[in-house]
Amino acid sequence: MLGKLAFRNVKRSARDYLVYFLTMTFVTALMFAFNSLIFTEDIEEMFGVAGMMMALVGLATFFIVLIVAWLINYMVRFMLEKRSQEFGIYLLIGMKKKEVARLYIRENALLGVAAFLIGMALGVLLQQVIMAILYSMIQIKYDIHMEFNGSCILMTVGCYAGCYLLALFRSGRRFRKMNIRDLMEAQKKNEEIKESHEQLKKWLFPASLLFLLLFALFIFLGGTQGAGQVLFFLVGLVLVIYTFYIGLSSWLVCYIRRRGNGIYCGQNLFLLRQFSSKLKTMSFTMGTLTALFTVAFLGCTVALMFSDYQNKLLETKFPFDVQIYSDDTEDDFRDELEIIEDTAKVLEVFPYHIYANVPKEVLEKPGKTKEADQGANQVNVWLSTHLKTFGDMYLNKDKSPNLKKIEKDSEEGSFYCRYDTYMKLSDYNRLRSMLGYTTVSLKEQEYLIHIKERLRNEVEAMKEEITVKGDGGELHFAGYYTEPFSQDGHNGGDYVIVVPDSSVSSLTPYYAELAVDLDGEAPVGLGKKLDALTEPEEWELEELKESEGDEDEEAEDDTDFAGHKGMEGNSCCGSDTIVVMSVTNMVRDNLIPEMKYLLSTLIFPCFYIGLVFLCVALTVLSVHQLSDSAKYKFRYSVLKKMGLNRREISMVILKQLVCYYLCPVLLACVIGGSVSVFMSGKFIFYTGIHSAVMYYFGLSFLLFFGIYGLYFITTYVSFRRNVEAEL
Amino acid sequence: MKDYIRVCDVEKYYGNASNVTKAIDRVSFTVDEGEFVGVMGASGSGKTTLLNMMSTIDRVTAGHIWYGDTDIAELSENDLAQFRKDNLGFVFQDYNLLDTLTIEENIILAMTLRKEGKKEIQKKCDEMLRLLGITDIRTQFPYQVSGGQKQRCACARALVNRPRLILADEPTGALDSRSAQTLLETFTDMNQKLKATILMVTHDAFSASYCSRILFLKDGRIFHELLRGSKARRDFLNEILDVLALTGGEISDAR
Repeated sequence: MLGKLAFRNVKRSARDYLVYFLTMTFVTALMFAFNSLIFTEDIEEMFGVAGMMMALVGLATFFIVLIVAWLINYMVRFMLEKRSQEFGIYLLIGMKKKEVARLYIRENALLGVAAFLIGMALGVLLQQVIMAILYSMIQIKYDIHMEFNGSCILMTVGCYAGCYLLALFRSGRRFRKMNIRDLMEAQKKNEEIKESHEQLKKWLFPASLLFLLLFALFIFLGGTQGAGQVLFFLVGLVLVIYTFYIGLSSWLVCYIRRRGNGIYCGQNLFLLRQFSSKLKTMSFTMGTLTALFTVAFLGCTVALMFSDYQNKLLETKFPFDVQIYSDDTEDDFRDELEIIEDTAKVLEVFPYHIYANVPKEVLEKPGKTKEADQGANQVNVWLSTHLKTFGDMYLNKDKSPNLKKIEKDSEEGSFYCRYDTYMKLSDYNRLRSMLGYTTVSLKEQEYLIHIKERLRNEVEAMKEEITVKGDGGELHFAGYYTEPFSQDGHNGGDYVIVVPDSSVSSLTPYYAELAVDLDGEAPVGLGKKLDALTEPEEWELEELKESEGDEDEEAEDDTDFAGHKGMEGNSCCGSDTIVVMSVTNMVRDNLIPEMKYLLSTLIFPCFYIGLVFLCVALTVLSVHQLSDSAKYKFRYSVLKKMGLNRREISMVILKQLVCYYLCPVLLACVIGGSVSVFMSGKFIFYTGIHSAVMYYFGLSFLLFFGIYGLYFITTYVSFRRNVEAEL
Repeated sequence: MKDYIRVCDVEKYYGNASNVTKAIDRVSFTVDEGEFVGVMGASGSGKTTLLNMMSTIDRVTAGHIWYGDTDIAELSENDLAQFRKDNLGFVFQDYNLLDTLTIEENIILAMTLRKEGKKEIQKKCDEMLRLLGITDIRTQFPYQVSGGQKQRCACARALVNRPRLILADEPTGALDSRSAQTLLETFTDMNQKLKATILMVTHDAFSASYCSRILFLKDGRIFHELLRGSKARRDFLNEILDVLALTGGEISDAR
């Protein structure tokens, strides 16, 4: 009998709390689909970085389990409250508390299992979509196939059950404390509106606004300055999120009490009171929702940032099919070529040198002869001291260049080489024609600089301040070139100076390079084979560097690049941050998918978090309004009796919902917006991607409002249906 | 004035083809301006249905209800809303005050919906609060005041727009006898001093004894009518009780 009762109740709950049910279904589907990212075997075999995906999806899952547990707990409590009268009746007719509790838990479990099963079915579909996206990202053909990985299902079940256990943990206690009278009364009791110290509390509203303004200023004017300040703003932000609603509600109450002009206009009085009392009774929930929305915004923005990078910039990072670096200037690349010719059809091979403008003996014994060094790293010094990326990292207190530090860092091969990098015009033109660019010509007394496009605007003044000495005196500057040219350590770091072949005799080969043009795509695994030429212990693990000022903690710090051979000796990697890829053996068709996969380990979890948080927050909003619409139907029938027609009542409902839905979103927009704009500003600056600062936030905003709109319309329609049933 | 409100041959059926319930069966009567009319009857006699139709909340199946020259049976949904706004005031058993608004704001809202000016609204509101003796609880919320006070607030709200007709559905139903008496005196005052026309539905003879005329409803038909004339209230009450005894209506709470 109890089983039957539970089943009936579940059917009713599923209808009453349809939004909740659907969200749980959707969350299950998302969980399953994203978990399957971890357990894809083909990918695990393909890339060494598969562990990253596991770590980041795992991290995301952790937060998601917490939040979903909060949602379930919230809903369990909420339904308990709404159905208290029913439970009172159960107790009244002689059921034991334990039995009622068991009944309720059984109902919730049934609801959960139903949502889970439907969710899994949906999840299989979603998994196909996500896999297809991932595979097309990493340029591998994906054949739709069902992959029922045991551990993936197990993990999804585990997460889901974990949410429920966390949530139901405390509801047993709630039942023990119940008494029949309270239960029977709970339904009748309206939320009491307690108004006290409103005059005082209303100042919280302008105070929070002021804080938000300060926060925005802080973040735009310089960002992080000391841990104390950051901590202050973080704590402040959390406080503001919660106090904002208390303040706003009190401000409205005071306005109504003061009899402001606005309340004498149409239904405003009703709307304002409705809104302020709602805010008052659930200011805490509203605060939490704001936090969820903010996280959803940020997650989306980060995901969009990296996916934009993937689409726009990644291709330009690898202009050559294969490019190999060697610190041995005598290297003829015979071994490498053998491997390449074995596995692919080679169209063109071009070994060349990058030069330094110092005599050979200086190059061999750096630092011994100071005089000969003079001017040999002038461009490096200029860039180190002028680029915004470095700030005053390489400046002394008196704004003069900190030469010691530049030298020291360059020996460790961090940003620039010890000496400026030069290239001969004939080599340069040969490379240009390999890439399909037009060749350039230089007069005897001229030089040009090929520099990363990202830096082009910053180096306008450099041409005046450096002097390139040739055999026949000073050379004249002939222009900057900015085509993609593999300048993350291969053709120089950030830049290379191109001089006519015969005009600078003091050039000494600095390191050797090999550029190869292949017919068709490079075979999978070519890069690994090339890496294997060197003894494994010599491998230097190349890492993706993080700029200190960067905000996204999720970006990968100190991650090795899965066994690619790093560059050593006279190498550098340029001033790129956030995503850096400088390896000795660069095989484009191997690296791009790998990079894309790596980036997608960030993109997917970010979207995952964004989506789930958004859905959870919207569910709470929507369920609240819907249950209110059932409980407070009479308000609208009173309005009707007072002479509002159907259309006007619909308008009142619409306005009420808009206020209620928009409020937490607007606050989240302000906070999330300023952080995202700041973040994308930095991202654009450091990566040199061509996107407007508002682009990522705007996109995530659109995405956000798509889902938001769906929930809003559902709520509005059901709200009206609930109310109109009564009219 | 004659023909202030005229109910002509009104019928109301519920149900479907196979199972029709006649809730109101050819009822006709008139209400004059300034009258305080009571409608009595046992549960299920159709009194609330009648009230609902007169208050435009429900539609007639057949017949007409004339308010002056307007037949509300012919009005469209939107015109009905406008009509309610201009002509009707409501007082219900369960008060139907908006719980998020204070007592004063409940009254103000009724006027703001009619788009009046701020000064005028405030003036009328103050006057109403004073008339009904609820000035000192004006800033309280409904849940903070007693049932009698709530009902007086509902009266104030119904009255503030000077409607053509005030419709009261069991207004004393949820009140204790002391508050009920106060409220009924308020009704009488409203009727006599403010010349409000009131139609009150009740099953309680004591409440009905405050009216100037009572219609008795049974099974959807008017089966008797009583006029108070110049009789004392107590005598009128006895008369009502006699009629109820005939119909077998509820007399248990007629003290």
